[in-house]
Amino acid sequence: MAGTGVIDASLKIVCAEGREEVPEHGRLLVEPEKCTGCRTCELFCSLKNFGEVNPARARIHVVRSQKDNIITTVPVVCQQCEDPLCMAMCPAGALSRNQETYAVVVDHDACLGCRTCVQVCPFGAPSVDPRTGKSEKCDLCDGDPTCVKFCSQEAIKFVAAEEESMTRKRDMVDTYLEHLRAASARGTV
Amino acid sequence: MSYLYGGKILRVDLTSGDVQIVPTERYATKYVGARGTNARLLYEAVDGTTDPLGPENIVTFGTGPLTGTTFPGCSRTDVMCKSPVTSLIGDCSFGGDWSAELKNAGWDHVVLEGRSPHPVYVYIRNDRVEIRDAGPYWGLPNYEAQAAIRADLNNPNYKIVSIGPGGENQVTFASIHSNIGNSGSRTGIGAVMGSKNCKAIVVRGTKGVAVADPEAFLEACAEAHLHIRGTEAYAEYHEIGLLADELAYVRCGIECGGDAHDTAPSFDDKFDYSAFWKRYGYKRTGCTGCPVHCMEAYNVPGVGATIISCELYPQLGAELRNYDERFWYQMVMQCHKQGLDNTSVATILQWLMTLWELGIIDESITGGYRMEWGNREAIEGIFWDIVHRRGFGDNLAQGMKAAADYMDAKVPLEKRGGKSTYYHAMQVNNNPMYGIVGRFHGQALAYSVGRRSDLISDLDMSEFLIVSAPVYPIWDEATKQAYTESEQAEGLRLGGTPEAADPEGYKGKAALVHDMGMTIGLPDTVGTCKWHTKFLYMYIDAPHYAKALSAGLGRKVEPEELVTASLRMRNLERALECKMGRRRENDTIPEKEFDKKVAHGYWKGKLGTSREGLERMKSEYYLIRGWDLATGIPYKETLQEYGLEDVAQDLASLDMLPERSESETAAAMKDPSLAHILMDEEERRARGAAKSEAAEDVEKRAPEVEKAASA
Repeated sequence: MAGTGVIDASLKIVCAEGREEVPEHGRLLVEPEKCTGCRTCELFCSLKNFGEVNPARARIHVVRSQKDNIITTVPVVCQQCEDPLCMAMCPAGALSRNQETYAVVVDHDACLGCRTCVQVCPFGAPSVDPRTGKSEKCDLCDGDPTCVKFCSQEAIKFVAAEEESMTRKRDMVDTYLEHLRAASARGTV
Repeated sequence: MSYLYGGKILRVDLTSGDVQIVPTERYATKYVGARGTNARLLYEAVDGTTDPLGPENIVTFGTGPLTGTTFPGCSRTDVMCKSPVTSLIGDCSFGGDWSAELKNAGWDHVVLEGRSPHPVYVYIRNDRVEIRDAGPYWGLPNYEAQAAIRADLNNPNYKIVSIGPGGENQVTFASIHSNIGNSGSRTGIGAVMGSKNCKAIVVRGTKGVAVADPEAFLEACAEAHLHIRGTEAYAEYHEIGLLADELAYVRCGIECGGDAHDTAPSFDDKFDYSAFWKRYGYKRTGCTGCPVHCMEAYNVPGVGATIISCELYPQLGAELRNYDERFWYQMVMQCHKQGLDNTSVATILQWLMTLWELGIIDESITGGYRMEWGNREAIEGIFWDIVHRRGFGDNLAQGMKAAADYMDAKVPLEKRGGKSTYYHAMQVNNNPMYGIVGRFHGQALAYSVGRRSDLISDLDMSEFLIVSAPVYPIWDEATKQAYTESEQAEGLRLGGTPEAADPEGYKGKAALVHDMGMTIGLPDTVGTCKWHTKFLYMYIDAPHYAKALSAGLGRKVEPEELVTASLRMRNLERALECKMGRRRENDTIPEKEFDKKVAHGYWKGKLGTSREGLERMKSEYYLIRGWDLATGIPYKETLQEYGLEDVAQDLASLDMLPERSESETAAAMKDPSLAHILMDEEERRARGAAKSEAAEDVEKRAPEVEKAASA
């Protein structure tokens, strides 16, 4: 059955079909075309990281566009850049690389809440927490991202950094083949 | 802030512009939330004399303790008012993203009272509440109005529930609509909002929902998510929604539009929903926090984009013998935009087409439209006349009874075959029925005793599965057999007799209908989606809710408490409905439907509900519920049992409170055919609260079934 899994005591989903073990130095791979916009990732992110359910504080946001009533949803989350602008530009030096998880993390004591990171990030991925006024961004849940576990569409995956681009390529080929099959069934190819 | 709850109920008096804040606690301790608290708020506000479209009616929007949390299906809002369709309780619920936003703003309920002198909308941003001018948006269809409000507020994060021109014009069966495709359609909530001159409620919330024990809560929610994702039903709905279900219902004759289709050519497979989905669907979508994604997003070139699910497929299409898929799609979209209940529109059109076929009405009545089956011009013309209340459309907009009175005055009695045109109307207490026929016994009972004169909330899904399994499109023989057997076991377990699961039987059906009503009451009070329960075979049940509530609230919540709250709510609703005039004789299906056989599909020429059969099922049902057999009013003892002493007093002061008569119960107990339902109350509760054995069976058998399928 698609999407099944069991949880062990530490709440890790294990033996979910097609899902690898939690990789070291993994990255979040977002595939917007699979996202349905249910925002389950936002809800669980905030619960895990803040102990309350509050999408406004979540470190991942599903941005929704519905121009002409056509719905497009894109999960926006930190890409953990190799050469992060936020880290370079932070006047307080509050951002640093966690060498264990390779995530860029915020030192909340040092953070000024100046919003520079929000402004310089090419994706607008960091947010300012409406409660504390400090910067908030994805820290990959210390190497075991919660959002990934609850995305029933597998629109967010946690993959080994060196496999990321190949995973995306393979997925795109699958999508392409699916379209091709559909088109041939319709007789348009 | 209290855990899981926003803690506050917002009461907006649109007449004076005053806003009042009431602590949720006052209601939630006893009624949990959402539909439960709504029922109490409504009980306090209206009675038999209230004019549904007058300023004294209220509309109450309610979320529950699990709304806006990580619990799956956390996206429901229950909406109640006195219905302009039935003059009884009006109730519907909608999903999408509005409910969670309201909770995040710190509010559990919003109650609209009075009537604004001019069009307004209610603006809520966290603690800030304003009544704002809606002049610029009045007259705009739902999609356009919501887009315009968001654009003017310069923030796409506002979540909006609004009414369209149908609601503004107080078409009695007008709906409310949130974002794209999330409607609260039944019983005319939109008309009541329109009567209050309230175009919309616009919400933005950033306060979040507090949780007592985040770790335990996350675990409880994770368990529920994975439970759902492990069911067979999920695997199907996640991929193709209810497309297979709808086709199965057509094939087995459930979805035949009742009487109207007795003369129709078979339309099995004439309208292939799956092909439409493959051709025009671009995305699966769903509500906030739900893993199922049961809705289909379509973009049809030249017509536009919208979202469709479930019952919307057959109603304006095959049921009207309208097989033009693009036209059908356009009509569904217009129902969303103009804010009319798709079901009511379809059933009313079907009624007119039946009358036309019988030669009872002609163009002089319909304003020139030829009501021939599938006639595009007539369907469109009548629709727009209803929206704008022009000519005959104005009569139809007032509901089936009013329209029947109008036609009866115009058409001589002999032309009507000595009967009122109302005789041909598929309605229960004036509420247009779904296309689902009452010829299946369990469905006939669900229509009759259903809480809003509608079967959907008390549906006997067990019967649904048994009758549709033989023709289910995507199952192999082994799966069909497995499902039939598991539902037969469920019928035996709940009804105490194999007859309960036999479509030809009457005995024990009441227990199945009662159990479904009780089960649905659980998500309805905690504010989540009923589809995740056994209603759509995903089997989330009282223990799941109790576990999440215990962790979230920081105090032990027993599953039994929730079951009791569900039963308490239903008894409160019933007491209010009885105050509004509902009695045993109102619990029925249309007279002409009795003893009619199924006209199409797998069950053709079979079944049919007899009057005696229905009365018998009703007696069983009342006995289980603790309602008076003669009147259908809850007994004094029943109300007391659920802590509704004040309601009992209220009914007593109106001289309508029955007391349980020992001789009556004893007589019923002596009747051996009723003995099976008179089981110990405790046993019944435990049974309701325990995880369904059938659910476990299905799960256990899943690998076998899969193996068989692949072999």
